[in-house]
Amino acid sequence: MLVSIVGLVVSLTFVRFSAPDLALTQLAVEAGTILLMLLVLYYLPHKICTPETGITRKLRDLLLALGAGGGLGWVSWQMLGTPFETISGYYLEHSVPGGGGANVVNVILVDFRGFDTLGEITVLATVALAAHVLLGGLVLKAPERDGDGRRWSAEAHPLFLSMMMRPLLPLAITVSVFIYLRGHNVPGGGFVAGLITGVALVMQYLANGIAFTQPLMPRHPPRLLALGLFLAAGIGLASLFYGRPFLTSAHGHVPLPWIGDVELASAMVFDLGVYVVVVTVVLTVLSELGRLSLRTLKKSEAD
Amino acid sequence: MELLLALAIGLLTTCGVYLVLRERTFPVILGLTLLSYAVNLFLFASGRLSIDAPPLIAAGARYTDPLPQALILTAIVIGFGMTAYLAMLALRALSESGDDHVDARQEDERP
Repeated sequence: MLVSIVGLVVSLTFVRFSAPDLALTQLAVEAGTILLMLLVLYYLPHKICTPETGITRKLRDLLLALGAGGGLGWVSWQMLGTPFETISGYYLEHSVPGGGGANVVNVILVDFRGFDTLGEITVLATVALAAHVLLGGLVLKAPERDGDGRRWSAEAHPLFLSMMMRPLLPLAITVSVFIYLRGHNVPGGGFVAGLITGVALVMQYLANGIAFTQPLMPRHPPRLLALGLFLAAGIGLASLFYGRPFLTSAHGHVPLPWIGDVELASAMVFDLGVYVVVVTVVLTVLSELGRLSLRTLKKSEAD
Repeated sequence: MELLLALAIGLLTTCGVYLVLRERTFPVILGLTLLSYAVNLFLFASGRLSIDAPPLIAAGARYTDPLPQALILTAIVIGFGMTAYLAMLALRALSESGDDHVDARQEDERP
């Protein structure tokens, strides 16, 4: 809980110092992290004190920590006090003519430094695959009582929560599509939209239980991962056909009936790839953890 | 304001390093999360602090430095991936070794 509060304060800091994109992302990540922490905490042993921790070791750790913290704090204070010349003028100048978007942070992510982002979503996809490998078939002994010896509540899913969450899901997905579409010009983009969808889907697990939700979810998460990576890398390769370097983006105005003049950039497909990968990663990691509890439950019923 | 942010970075690093040095897995996960907050804020500070200057192109507006922001955005998401991976490793280690200590204890010490 405390960590989540720290995360919220960090996100407020980003709002104050003109980084709306970061604040949105931090906020969405916080929701995922707290769910993850709670699921993990359920399985780890409950004993509070560890007798082998000596006072000397605690003192040594404290000194090390104070040294590191004081050092980094001092360095950042010194850094904040010195004037500097930004190298970002190029990005600010070329964002609209070169990338076709007014949100410079998003244009840097999907266009100027698209190769970085491609590498990053590959790392995320690896995490999701690791979730499969590490947790697949794993059965843990769930504690029957909590730390004070009370039994867990038998009432599984509050009716109010499960009824609220069903209409909320389409709403949350609409919001995430909206945030994805506006990402090129105002704060938003594939990362935030993906996190919002992911957390909304995980809320369904929480509200309705795994037995209800699991059959409704995509069967083969690795295929979705591959689809996302293929979208992102494919749009990069497509620019090769036009004789431009890898991941060059194009943009232009397309008149659509009913909606009017819509500005489209090929970077949006790249962002869509990012979106798919992020949704799948959040979903895979948290639902693998959830399925672990289902297996544990079955085992304890069989015993 | 600058002093406050520097103090916050220092405090987060102190807590993070202390928790990483604990011997059970959950504090280590928490500590790495705190450390990644500290590092993100440090990177953010390297773009200097400016108020009411979001990097959205508009006529006659002031802009803050967008480059650190783009780097941190990816760092936040990677940080979530790393936390998730560590948590899964902790669970796997718990099932393999039967306890949640970071350093493997000697056979004869085990109860």
